[in-house]
Amino acid sequence: MPLASTRLLGLAVAMVGVLLAVVAAALALGSAGLDVETIRALRAPRVAAAAGVGALLALSGLAMQSLLRNPLADPYVLGTSGGAAVGALLALMLGVAITVGAAAGALAAGALLLWLARRALATTDDASPRLILAGAMLAALFGAMASLLLALTPDQRLRGAIFWLVGDLSGASDGGSSLAAAAGFVAWFAWRERALDRLLLGSVAAHLLGEPVRRLRFELLLGASLAAAAAVASAGAIGFVGLVVPHALRLAGVQRTRDLALLSPLGGAALVVAADLLARTVASPIELPVGAVMALVGAPVFVWFLARGGR
Amino acid sequence: MSLHAVSPAVAADTRLETRALTLVAAGRELVQDLNWRVLAGQRWCVIGRNAAGKSTLLRALAGVSEVGVVQRGEVAWQGRPQRAWPAADAAALRAFMPQQVADRFPISVARLLELSVVQARLEAVAVLRGLDIDALAQRPVLELSGGERQRVALAQAALQGAPLMLLDEPVAFQDPAHQALVARWLTGALPADHGLVISAHDINWIARTATHVLALLPDGRCEQGAAAAMLEADLLERVYGCAWRELGGLWVTD
Repeated sequence: MPLASTRLLGLAVAMVGVLLAVVAAALALGSAGLDVETIRALRAPRVAAAAGVGALLALSGLAMQSLLRNPLADPYVLGTSGGAAVGALLALMLGVAITVGAAAGALAAGALLLWLARRALATTDDASPRLILAGAMLAALFGAMASLLLALTPDQRLRGAIFWLVGDLSGASDGGSSLAAAAGFVAWFAWRERALDRLLLGSVAAHLLGEPVRRLRFELLLGASLAAAAAVASAGAIGFVGLVVPHALRLAGVQRTRDLALLSPLGGAALVVAADLLARTVASPIELPVGAVMALVGAPVFVWFLARGGR
Repeated sequence: MSLHAVSPAVAADTRLETRALTLVAAGRELVQDLNWRVLAGQRWCVIGRNAAGKSTLLRALAGVSEVGVVQRGEVAWQGRPQRAWPAADAAALRAFMPQQVADRFPISVARLLELSVVQARLEAVAVLRGLDIDALAQRPVLELSGGERQRVALAQAALQGAPLMLLDEPVAFQDPAHQALVARWLTGALPADHGLVISAHDINWIARTATHVLALLPDGRCEQGAAAAMLEADLLERVYGCAWRELGGLWVTD
C-alpha cells in the first residue's frame, strides 16, 4: 500500500524533526545561555536521560497495551510504579540511593505479579482480566504503603520524595544505558512483530495461528516491567507518556506493531525532553516536577486532539 | 474394528477423527461417546438445540476448549492425536471460526487477512470476491457491520490454508442473499481436499450446504449420516422437540 507507507514515512520524518528540534532547544536554552561547558556537562546528560526515559516509558506502554489487549493500558497499570514508589521511599528513609530502591521495588512488583498471575498466564485463554485484577490489587496495596511511608518521611526529605513521586529528572544521568535498553526493546518488537500483531487478535486466535502465546505474554510482561523499572528508577514515576504516545500514534493511523515500536520511542523521547525543558525554564530558577508539567500541558492538547476528530 | 489401527490410505484423507469423545460442561454431558470421522471433501453440519453443545464440540475439535470443559476420549487430526501436534504445525491443519469475535484495535481488513495466512493455499482476491467483501479491504475492522465482520471471519479461516475448517454458525448474521452466497461459496469455492464442520440452525440452508449431518440430541447422544438421510421429520423432532414437515421442498416447523 503505497499511500499508507508514504503517510507513515511522512509521520516518521515529522517525528524525527520534532525530536531534533526539541533536543536542540533543550541543549541551547537555560539560565547559563549558550555556554559550551554547561551544555556538555549539564544539559546534554540530562537531555539524554530525558530521552531515554521517554523512549522506555512509551515502549513499556506499548507492551502493556499488547499484553492486556487494551489500548488504554499504561506502564503502571499493573503496579510497577507503586512498587517503585515504595522502594524509593524506603530507600529515602534508610539513606540508600533512591535509584536502587526504586529499581528494586519495581522489579519486586513485577515478580509478584508474575507469581500471582502464573495460572492465568499458563493457559492460552485471555489472561487480561486476571492480570488487571491482580495488578490493580498490587497498585492499591503499594499506593497505601507509599502513603504510609510518606507520612513517616522526615520533613527535610519530604520535598525530594514528593518530587520523585511525580517525576524528577534533576538527578538522572544514565541516559546512555536507558537509550541502549530502549533500542534493544525496539529490536525485540521488530523480531516479534508478526506474532505480536496476531496476539492483538486475541490469545486464542493467536494460538490457533500457531503463535507461542504463553511465551509471548511472558516476554511482554518481563520487557514492560523492566523498561518501566529502568525509567522509574532514573526519573521517578512520570505518568502520561506511556499511555498517550502509543495511543496517539494509533489514532494517527499507525496499525502495525513494528511501526508503533519504531515511532513510540521517538514520540516518548520528544515529549519528555520538551516537558523537562519547560519544567526547568518556565519558573527558573525554580524547577517544576517534569511529570506534572507534562500532564498539565499534554492532557489538554490530547483532549483537544480527541475533540477535533480522533476516535 | 480397532479404533487405533487406521490404514495409511484412510489416514491421508481423514481430516478429523474422534474416538469415544465425551464432553462435560457445568456437570452436563453435552456429547456422549462420539466416534466420528470427517473425510476430505465432506461438509458436515452440526445441528442441535440452543445450549446442546455445538460450540463446545467445535472448540474441542479445534483444540481450544474453555476452562471447565472436561474432555474424555480423543480427537485426532490427520490420524494423529490433537495433543501430539505442536501449535505451529496445528495451525496448518485446522482453522476455527468462533461464533463471535471481539476486535479491540483499529487494523484494516486487509492487514487482518494478511495476518491470518498460515499457508498460502487460496488466492486472497478470489476469497474476498467470493464472500462479497472485496470492497471492504481498506476499512478498519471496528467499523464493519455484524454480517460483514462475520464474512471477514470466514475469509480469515479460509485464508489460514488449513484443510480442516471448523465454522461456528457462519451465517448467523447474514441476510438471505448472503446466506445463499455463503452456501454457494462453501460448496463450490473451496479446494476439494478440505473437510468442513459447520454448526448451523437453518435446516434449509443446511440441506443445500451439507453432505453430512451430525445431530446432537438433548441427552448427549449423537446421530450421524448423509444429509439426505438425516434430514427427516422424525429425527428433526427428536433434535429440536417440535414437529416438522416438508412444504414445497422446504422444511418448516408447525
